[in-house]
Amino acid sequence: MLRGLKLFGLFARISTLNEMQYRANFFIQLLQSFISLGTGLAVLAVVFSYTDNLHGWSGGELLAVMGVHILMGGIMRTVIQPNMGRLMEDVQEGTLDYALTKPEDSQVMVSVRQFAIWAVVDVLMGIIVLVWALVSIGNRTTLASALLFVVAMFLGAVMIYCVFLMFTTLAFWFVRVWELMEMFQSLYQAGRWPVGIYPDWLRAGLTYLIPVAFAVTVPAEALTGRLTPQTILIAAAFTLVLMWVSRAVWKYGLRHYTSASS
Amino acid sequence: MKPAIHVRDLTKVFKVPERDAGLKAATLSLFKRKYKEVRAVDSIAFDIQPGEVVGFLGPNGAGKTTTLKMLAGLLYPTSGELDVLGYLPEKRQKDFLRQITLVMGQRSQLNWDIPAIDSFELNRAIYSIPRKQYEETRDELIELMLLGDLINKPVRNLSLGERMKVEAVGALLHRPQVLFLDEPTIGLDVTMQRRIRRFIQEYNARYNATVLLTSHYMADVQALCKRVIVIHHGKLLYDGGLAGLVERFSAMKTLSVTFSDMNGHAPDFSTFGTVISQEPNRVSLRVGKAETPNVTARMLADLPVTDLTVEDPPIEEVIEHVFEQPKEDDEKKETA
Repeated sequence: MLRGLKLFGLFARISTLNEMQYRANFFIQLLQSFISLGTGLAVLAVVFSYTDNLHGWSGGELLAVMGVHILMGGIMRTVIQPNMGRLMEDVQEGTLDYALTKPEDSQVMVSVRQFAIWAVVDVLMGIIVLVWALVSIGNRTTLASALLFVVAMFLGAVMIYCVFLMFTTLAFWFVRVWELMEMFQSLYQAGRWPVGIYPDWLRAGLTYLIPVAFAVTVPAEALTGRLTPQTILIAAAFTLVLMWVSRAVWKYGLRHYTSASS
Repeated sequence: MKPAIHVRDLTKVFKVPERDAGLKAATLSLFKRKYKEVRAVDSIAFDIQPGEVVGFLGPNGAGKTTTLKMLAGLLYPTSGELDVLGYLPEKRQKDFLRQITLVMGQRSQLNWDIPAIDSFELNRAIYSIPRKQYEETRDELIELMLLGDLINKPVRNLSLGERMKVEAVGALLHRPQVLFLDEPTIGLDVTMQRRIRRFIQEYNARYNATVLLTSHYMADVQALCKRVIVIHHGKLLYDGGLAGLVERFSAMKTLSVTFSDMNGHAPDFSTFGTVISQEPNRVSLRVGKAETPNVTARMLADLPVTDLTVEDPPIEEVIEHVFEQPKEDDEKKETA
């Protein structure tokens, strides 16, 4: 685990130093982030021109949810998605063999190699929106709820990673799974709203199939004083389950890959 | 001495989906697939001693890459015994992986966006090479390969040959004891091929590393390998010296004869053998191996010979001849 973090740090440093040469990417990313923030705010404004409460969430609180959504999206695009994309390319091009002949745990190896520095813009943007939302609500965030928020964010990110990894592992059988990754992205968009507003079946799906509920709604609940100890315990337990299951799926996929590819 | 690589009865069978042509068959195959078994490697056996450089020959689809991948722990064998440096490769233990390297000429392992030196640094971390040893090896290999400042340019901007040089250095930074090289010189020009070859030779000599190499270029094999293993249709056809390969698979010799002036009365050379080329006072003939002594004696006795040489045919021809051998069994379809 510690070694994995160390490797991740080194990969991130080198790719960041390199990426710094391409400043245009920074401005493109900035533009993209602003456009998506703008549309998000516009939709919120439209909704709240009709009502001042959505399933118990006020306008300011929904803004906080949006902030968490952008923040988590930024984390996903900075560290999770680039690695999974690279993994899929490696499967397609047969270069995964190189990763597998390295003296490092294969799952760690494929999870730490990429780092998209410019997507950090979304992380910062998310934090700004979040702070803005909290200030506008007049929320007095306690140290405890802030800590809880950090824990919930961490668990959420790990869950997203696990599910993403399982989706990508399908590449061992189907080789091309970009469509599935696209689907994952669009389902993540549903997390822009607290999952409570959705019908039961969709809420269940967004909780346990694609853990958007845990990744976005739960951290937002932590900040807005809605989080019950029960929920955070369930989140922690579910994270452990996903870590275990995704590792099993990865090992199984790898076993299939190494016995079938040629 | 315990062999570095030990292989017995190694077999790999792939299950390959099979379908007929056409949309209907394609649609059906989405739901129900028929599989066909393909025996890519069929009970082969060999031992390789530490420090040996062995050429692995065979036409496309003979099972070379499959064997190499099993040795590197990338493929699970269907059956058989396998031992590399005392490890079972398929377990992919870290101590095993730290001592081997894999280079595939057609696939790059360097990150194209960053200069090679950065990729080297990453390999240092992945292999946990002590800083001092890393710098020593790196500088030594860079010098050996005449890399110069190529290592500071993004890999994307390098030519194919330059990239291969850099790839080779990157793959050897951890001083592996066993090298699996799959077509390391593919697509390179002659000078660059020679440089890579020299590099492999040097590395082998310095570190007494075991090298298993596949190549389509016979020059690679002739320059590097005292021993070759030939596989075809998944089966081992030959294992031994290059000269022995020629001896065993070539039934012909080439006779080159020069004469003093024959005053235009050249005899009919086709009574001696197959004429390859003929000039007024020179002739090249292809003669069966068994008849060679006989034909040579007759020529020396009957004709004003000034020079006569008997040669083996070029190695390429021999190999081609080997690969033309029909397979015994129609089920054994080729896979790469």
